[in-house]
Amino acid sequence: MARAGRVLAVKWGMNPNSSSLGVDVTFLLAGATVVAALTPLGGALLRLRRPTLAGPPPESPPRG
Amino acid sequence: MAERSARLEAFGAIVQLRRPRALAFVDRAWARRRLGVGGAPALWRDPAADGDIGRAPLSAPLEAHLQLTNRCGAGCQGCYTGASPQGAPGEWGLARWKRAIDELAAMGVFHVALGGGESTLLPWLGELARHARARGLVPNLTTAGLEGLEALLPIAHLFGQINVSLDGLGPTYARVRGFDGFARVDAALVALRLIKREIGINVVVTRENFAELGAIFAHARRRRLHEVELLRFKPSGRGAAAYARLRCTDAQHRALLPVVLAAARRHRMRAKLDCSYTPMIAHHAPAPAMLAQLSVYGCTGGDFLVGAKATGAVTACSFAAPPPPAADGARPTVDELARYWRRDDAFGAFRTWQAAAAPCASCAYLRLCRGGCRVVSAHTLGDAAAPDPECPRVVDAGGGRRRSLPLASPAISG
Repeated sequence: MARAGRVLAVKWGMNPNSSSLGVDVTFLLAGATVVAALTPLGGALLRLRRPTLAGPPPESPPRG
Repeated sequence: MAERSARLEAFGAIVQLRRPRALAFVDRAWARRRLGVGGAPALWRDPAADGDIGRAPLSAPLEAHLQLTNRCGAGCQGCYTGASPQGAPGEWGLARWKRAIDELAAMGVFHVALGGGESTLLPWLGELARHARARGLVPNLTTAGLEGLEALLPIAHLFGQINVSLDGLGPTYARVRGFDGFARVDAALVALRLIKREIGINVVVTRENFAELGAIFAHARRRRLHEVELLRFKPSGRGAAAYARLRCTDAQHRALLPVVLAAARRHRMRAKLDCSYTPMIAHHAPAPAMLAQLSVYGCTGGDFLVGAKATGAVTACSFAAPPPPAADGARPTVDELARYWRRDDAFGAFRTWQAAAAPCASCAYLRLCRGGCRVVSAHTLGDAAAPDPECPRVVDAGGGRRRSLPLASPAISG
């Protein structure tokens, strides 16, 4: 039977800042247990939304 | 055209959620099962890369930061782009930026963050935002809130989120920016929030406003804003000359995370820290696995994000200088990003973090932090690949020594 797969990480929110990449640290207030639950929550939401792949898969760039 | 919902990566795939807004990184098995990926995609040739974010640069950035113009009349003393009322020579117009959007969409970029200078001064800003939407990209916007408000209000709905730069309240704003603009910026916040929910503020943190962070969060709460994003002061543009005077102290860097979390809790406000603050998060030793799940990364210039100057020149991030020109004198431009992105030497020190020197080489956070801010290292140590000298762990290891600060940043490729 095929493995279900894992959600590795979730980057919450958008980044309107045009100079650098921001990350929501508010979740750190809740502690590791809640953060650990957020990732499966993201997975559950994704399954509900049934995402589709768009466009041809690009080639991977080399590591410099 | 609908927003892009997913794209393949060497580790698996990235999937976009619209409500709530999120980008999820999934492994190959998940992508096979849920996205219906069949066969053997070229990106998945290396079996060891499955599930390993960071093993290779992304196939394309998650987002592009486009400095649409370097025109701005504010004249802030720490402006990281050195913006002026005249703008930069050779700035692109609407047609070229549309081509850039087309290129980014073809590469699979999810979001663009539009900024300047003051991009609300551009009469075609709304048309470009519509073009991004039409190509499946979410346009977001940063504005100083000092000019262009009348033009922005009718097109505010086109943006996913708008952040207004607010570096202090009342007289603190004047101390940080060099002029009294608080009332104007605050009025812009009120006007934007009346018509749009996704309005936040960007706060460049300096030693002048650090003590006021709690009050800034309280103000954001009073204005019913979406979030507060805190940015580290960067030695770029006019900020290079003001850096020694305005950058935070080591004690402030060490205190940042608890101060921010306490303010976020007290005022029930979302808090974001920019990528250059990851060393200051790691200082408090949170579990690396927890940071990874939240996608807390340090310098991801030339990987998760890419920048473009007002002339279209590609940079690893908004603070970095463009890469050196090729033999024919040409520099890579964002409307031809894909070709440069795949080059072995693309983005110089921004992509060589895995070869970090001590103490980063043995740091448990290297895979997340990636050595801290390359721009700070280049300015302070003259070596963009050196460990971030303001990282508390680097300071404790004796690696935070500074050379005498130059008046202008050395050009760092990226």
